[in-house]
Amino acid sequence: MLRLTILLSAAILSLLSAPAMAALQVFACEPEWASLAQEIGGDRVKTITATHAGQDAHYVRARPSLIAAMRRSDLVFCSGADLEVGWLPILLRKAGNQTVQPGQAGHLLAADHVTLLEAPEKLDRSLGDVHPQGNPHVHLNPANISILVTVLADRLRDLDPPGSAHYERNAEKFLAAWREAVLQWEQRAKALRNMPVVVHHKAWTYLADWLALDQVATLEPKPGLPPTSSHLTSLLQLTRTRPIKAILRTPYDPDDAAKWLAKKTGIPSVQLPFTVGGDEQSGTLFLMFDRTLTLLEEANGDG
Amino acid sequence: MFLRALCAAAAAAVSVWLAFAALAAEPDINTIRQEIQNLKNLYESRIQALEEQLKTLQKKETDRSTKAASAAPATSGRVIRDNAFNPAIGVILNGKYTNFSADDSEIAGFAVGEEGERGREGLGIDESELNFSANADDKFYGHVTTAIVREDGEDKVELEEAYLQTLPGAAVIDGLSLKAGRAFWTLGYLNERHSHEDDFTDRPLPNRVFLNNSYNDDGIQASWVLPTDLYTEIGGGIFRGDDYPFGNGGGNGVEAWSAYARFGGDFGADHAWQLGGSFLSGDSDGRESNEGGVEFVGDSNLFITDFRYVWAPTGNPRQQELTVQGEYFWRFEDGTYEDSDAGTGAVDYDEDDSGWYLQAVYKFLPQWRVGTRYSRLSPANTPNGLDGSALDADGQTPQSWSLMADWTNSEFSRLRIQYSHQELSDDKDDQLILQYILSIGAHGAHQF
Repeated sequence: MLRLTILLSAAILSLLSAPAMAALQVFACEPEWASLAQEIGGDRVKTITATHAGQDAHYVRARPSLIAAMRRSDLVFCSGADLEVGWLPILLRKAGNQTVQPGQAGHLLAADHVTLLEAPEKLDRSLGDVHPQGNPHVHLNPANISILVTVLADRLRDLDPPGSAHYERNAEKFLAAWREAVLQWEQRAKALRNMPVVVHHKAWTYLADWLALDQVATLEPKPGLPPTSSHLTSLLQLTRTRPIKAILRTPYDPDDAAKWLAKKTGIPSVQLPFTVGGDEQSGTLFLMFDRTLTLLEEANGDG
Repeated sequence: MFLRALCAAAAAAVSVWLAFAALAAEPDINTIRQEIQNLKNLYESRIQALEEQLKTLQKKETDRSTKAASAAPATSGRVIRDNAFNPAIGVILNGKYTNFSADDSEIAGFAVGEEGERGREGLGIDESELNFSANADDKFYGHVTTAIVREDGEDKVELEEAYLQTLPGAAVIDGLSLKAGRAFWTLGYLNERHSHEDDFTDRPLPNRVFLNNSYNDDGIQASWVLPTDLYTEIGGGIFRGDDYPFGNGGGNGVEAWSAYARFGGDFGADHAWQLGGSFLSGDSDGRESNEGGVEFVGDSNLFITDFRYVWAPTGNPRQQELTVQGEYFWRFEDGTYEDSDAGTGAVDYDEDDSGWYLQAVYKFLPQWRVGTRYSRLSPANTPNGLDGSALDADGQTPQSWSLMADWTNSEFSRLRIQYSHQELSDDKDDQLILQYILSIGAHGAHQF
């Protein structure tokens, strides 16, 4: 009986400690951060993504599976700036995992490390679902990615000191390739300067800032509110007086409003990948930016 | 000597020549002056341009340094004010128009507490709720929910929740959390939730009769999320035994306890499920119901099993979502019932009764949902002594059908219409309910 108890408790203990012995578990809220963690962490990390490219990270439920995943994670890597305000705080509290709580090395929010754009001067919900700290979709400026590579590598070193050299090497390798890619992208981007676009949601602010695109209007009347017919009609009026090259949307935005406007005006409606895995050609951060530029170039050339 | 004379002569010659030269060049001096002036102007304009350039450069430099400062972690640039640590405040406003076809709302075979009764008819506001919550420090989180309700023609303040919860930083074991105070305790699915989060305007029949809408006694509850792939949470609590289904918590002040377990996971990215079982047991030293007409003294035990399934066809619950949810309640009680309205006296009672509900809600457009719900109760076999009392079901099985549609403008406002057909006793009741729910202040949670 005693032997059985010992065996059983040993089995349970090994079951409980098994995940801790394995690779560093990274809980990424969005695919872009999962991809980055995988690039820098390599085979020393195992990444779980809370959302896929087809999901809007604003609106996710604190599902049981996410609580279980966060419970076992060593690093939580998210956008922050209230993008995940509806579900991240509950996950953190319910999962009860000490290492990933705010203030710990295992808690990394991208928005805390880059300059946020569009911090509202007026906070009022009649203006829609505004984010008090600024626009949270920070990953679409490659400069922000560079900043986060360094921050992430530091965190991974803190959490897994034996892997320090590994993370440093990966970060250096990534940054070298990234610098080169950015130079090329910026060369291509010269042709896109001041390209006038209409966007579905203000998800493209950092991209527009980087490429100097001219965001003329949004399909949403207010951030977070679905497009209304009266608002779309006013946009139709607008396109008569202002030339627009493209209507941009993410893979998760419903396409009806964009398609309606495209049909009425002949302006191409373009679904950009938005994040890693946003379409078949966007399997990595490099490919995703590349694909985004290609699609913009196509639209710009057409118009 | 000779040298000196020579020098003097040379000097004199030079000065004479100079004088002549000056005389001869008189008209050119103006030109030279002009030239010099031109040069001066040119240099001045150049200097001005350079100064201008320097200024812009300096401005750029300061711009860059301020940018660099703001690129540091966002926290470093914030202005800290005294109110920076104010708790998150949320206010829920809630109003209804209700129309009933039947005057009577008795539920055959069940004694019903005050909250579990049918609501007021006509125009009126429902619970107005005030929520305050914040982390007290690194170890504790505090939460208060007060509701202002209309009862017996008066506006009363009810303290629905006032609890502390340990934060992960306080736990000795990862995943362990303690909650102490008054809270909507974990029992089945709905009990934990505030009524404004419900998908229907009223709670289903079993929650009304077995929990008086919701169990929020004073007590302590522990919960532990296990580090497993499958979401597994176990927990339990001890309670004062003051709130329905107990009452009059006399004795030593620990009259009830609970235990629960729940599991959950995903099927792919679009399907999620949760399954749970809860048990609540305790002593009632006098549970009053039917407006004081019925009293129960004894042991009351309640077993609840619940499930919830959510399907978001595109992975985006914002766009489309189907939720199916149900709970089954089974209660066995051992004690005495007395219906003073029927003059039964205290009658020995050792019976069980049960109830369940099943509901489906479908969001077909981002702002529109429709739903349906069925609930049903199975009354106990009443002892002879209770014939003709509120506990005597007289062969009835109370049941209720509901249909609802709601429009959610943003995450913070919702309008709803609901039709219910209730057969709770001999009287059939057709109900029409219009409701608004407004949430101002802190952002609510997207619970599963």
